[in-house]
Amino acid sequence: MAALLDSPRWLGVLMIAPAVLYIVLVVGLPFVLAILYAFSGVTMGSRTIEFVGFKNFISVLETTKFQTSLRNTFVFALIAQVLVMVLGTVLAMALLKDFRGKWLVRLLILLPWVAPISLGTIGWLWILDSTYSVINWTLEALGLIGADGWFMWLGVPYLAMGSVITIHVWRILPLATVILLAGLTSIPHDIHDAAQVDGASFWRHLFQITLPLIRPIMLVAGLFGLVFAFTDMIVIFVLTRGGPYDTTQVLASLAFFTGIQAGDLAEGAAIALFLFPLLLAVAVAFLRVARRAEVT
Amino acid sequence: MSDNLSVNRRRFLKTTATGAVAATLGANIVIPGRANAARKKLRILQWVHFVPAYDEWFNKQYTKEWGDKNDTEVTVDNIGIAGIAARASAEISAQKGHDLFLFNWPPPTVEEQTVDMKDVYQELERKLGKSIDLGVKSTYNPKTKKYYAFSPSFTPDPVNYRQDLFAQVGLPNGPQSWDEVRTAGAKIKKQLGNPVGIGLANEIDTGMAMRTIMYAFGAHEQDEQGNFVLNSKQTLEAVKFVKALFEETMTPEVFTWDASSNNRAMIAGKISLALNAISITRTAEKDDPAISRKIQLTKALRGPARAIGLEHVMDCYVVWKFAENIDGAKKFLIDYTTTFRQAFVAGEFYDFPCFPKTVPDLSKLIANDPKAHPPEKYKVLDDVLNWATNVGYPGYANAAIDEIFNTWVLNVMFAKAASGAATPEEALREAEAACKRIFGKWKEKGLV
Repeated sequence: MAALLDSPRWLGVLMIAPAVLYIVLVVGLPFVLAILYAFSGVTMGSRTIEFVGFKNFISVLETTKFQTSLRNTFVFALIAQVLVMVLGTVLAMALLKDFRGKWLVRLLILLPWVAPISLGTIGWLWILDSTYSVINWTLEALGLIGADGWFMWLGVPYLAMGSVITIHVWRILPLATVILLAGLTSIPHDIHDAAQVDGASFWRHLFQITLPLIRPIMLVAGLFGLVFAFTDMIVIFVLTRGGPYDTTQVLASLAFFTGIQAGDLAEGAAIALFLFPLLLAVAVAFLRVARRAEVT
Repeated sequence: MSDNLSVNRRRFLKTTATGAVAATLGANIVIPGRANAARKKLRILQWVHFVPAYDEWFNKQYTKEWGDKNDTEVTVDNIGIAGIAARASAEISAQKGHDLFLFNWPPPTVEEQTVDMKDVYQELERKLGKSIDLGVKSTYNPKTKKYYAFSPSFTPDPVNYRQDLFAQVGLPNGPQSWDEVRTAGAKIKKQLGNPVGIGLANEIDTGMAMRTIMYAFGAHEQDEQGNFVLNSKQTLEAVKFVKALFEETMTPEVFTWDASSNNRAMIAGKISLALNAISITRTAEKDDPAISRKIQLTKALRGPARAIGLEHVMDCYVVWKFAENIDGAKKFLIDYTTTFRQAFVAGEFYDFPCFPKTVPDLSKLIANDPKAHPPEKYKVLDDVLNWATNVGYPGYANAAIDEIFNTWVLNVMFAKAASGAATPEEALREAEAACKRIFGKWKEKGLV
């Protein structure tokens, strides 16, 4: 035992084992189970896994609800991620500069990420509430809208989609900002100094020096955000449950309603895993590009 | 330096491992309560009741007294209603959990995991007479001939209306029919600015309200034998009615709602009418006595086919096949149901009995409630056992009905038509295709 603990090789294995075990148990096993479920006829009540091939996938594909959810998933994820990347880059660049109260700004930006997401979203639910919306109240107090002109943030399809995207961006932005900030701080100062001496404008500096240099880390931030946006349902579950009339229903929330609420675990798993091949391909592509773009 | 580091690492690992082992074993060795192994155990999981006084009575008084009488240690875990389905799924996956598990809706999809409750029903029928139809249709599967759950009680879903507003348009006793809701609701909205507040969103209250209208119009998802019959003239009429009702009496606010939005809107004085449990009036009595005096209740509203209302919450207890104290759980249910009057009072009339004889003085109790304004406010519910029905009426609440409800298929049908996102015919066609597929799927699985 003592010899094992003194051996750097075995000690390394021992130290990393809890993390590996954790990932296998918490991520790996449920994932394998979800794949098994998706190709079976399992329900919440039946525990026998009977192989049914692609039947669950084919069955849901033809439904309007699934098609709407698939479309919404892409709209939600892509718009949210573009916003996250643009705003994250702006914020990271701003935080790179020194200014008074920088610690407070950093703290405020990190708060949405630190706070439990369900709690934060419930706060937004009240902000967007049809009866007590503080936004509508303020607009009315400023005379910008009348008492009967309140915006139904979660009741009109484009406003509802806009709201869930906004809140998702609010939640993911801190992570992207921190990742991008790490990338920006890793750029050697002499490169910036050389660009300044050469008289490069802000935009030229940004697009020809800064962004190319942080491209690998941007791709990682983009990948994280994209996977989150494609697979998470908390914001939608708390705010709209897919409404109004399924215009914000996404695959993740539909999978929950079908698999857990309605008890068809197999179909729920099939819906949840539907985009897995695409996400896997995107992840591989992103990581390969990021590796190629690494600056050595 | 290196040696010290190695010793520290080794010590660290040894200490951690020893600590972990001690913590695991120690809990079993030194906690005195664990020595008391002879006493039976009964673990119950149920929702955090809408009426806190009920949980207080159930957790701290009733279960303790029952436990003492039956030499059983009863523990009650309360979780939010939103977590019930996920928790049930987890317990089934682990094949471990509570002995008694309360769903707040019929849970037909877990049938294979639950013990048959036929003997509980038989024993109670022998003592108390038959359960109301609603209780049986929410817990029995005629296909497999199994009682997959047991229902001691349900929560009615009456019409809550603003008496002051309806009086101003000539209906001081509130609307009696859906047509009156439409005509009077339109007048109130136009003259007084208060819209009707019936949800058209992906949430439970909308699901109940839309089915109430459908059934009152003679439209159904299935017939008595469980045959799929959604696509009918009556369903189309119901969809057209809801569209007109929305356009004439409501605002787009109803598309945004969750299950508590109508409570808030009613208590805030915004809306003229809502369908809900007595949660609206009970909250108003505590928080805003002035508005409480204005909110009154009516019985089920008349439609072209009948006057009918739905349950709002269906209390369905299941006993898992893997439960450790199946006999104790069944005995608890029999005793709890037999003495249900206590629960009825403790829950401030939120839960009504499925076995009418358990609360023989129900009419008298609800006709004089000191908290209500006026004290006889809840008297209109004295015949609710006759007009409250189940989701899936006139058939049973089966797995297909459950999935249609929980994936909001009918909510979306009505909302799309009302908003103009689809014509009533298109919305019905789309819903029909979705429901047909769901029915086919569960038939194939042998549960419908």
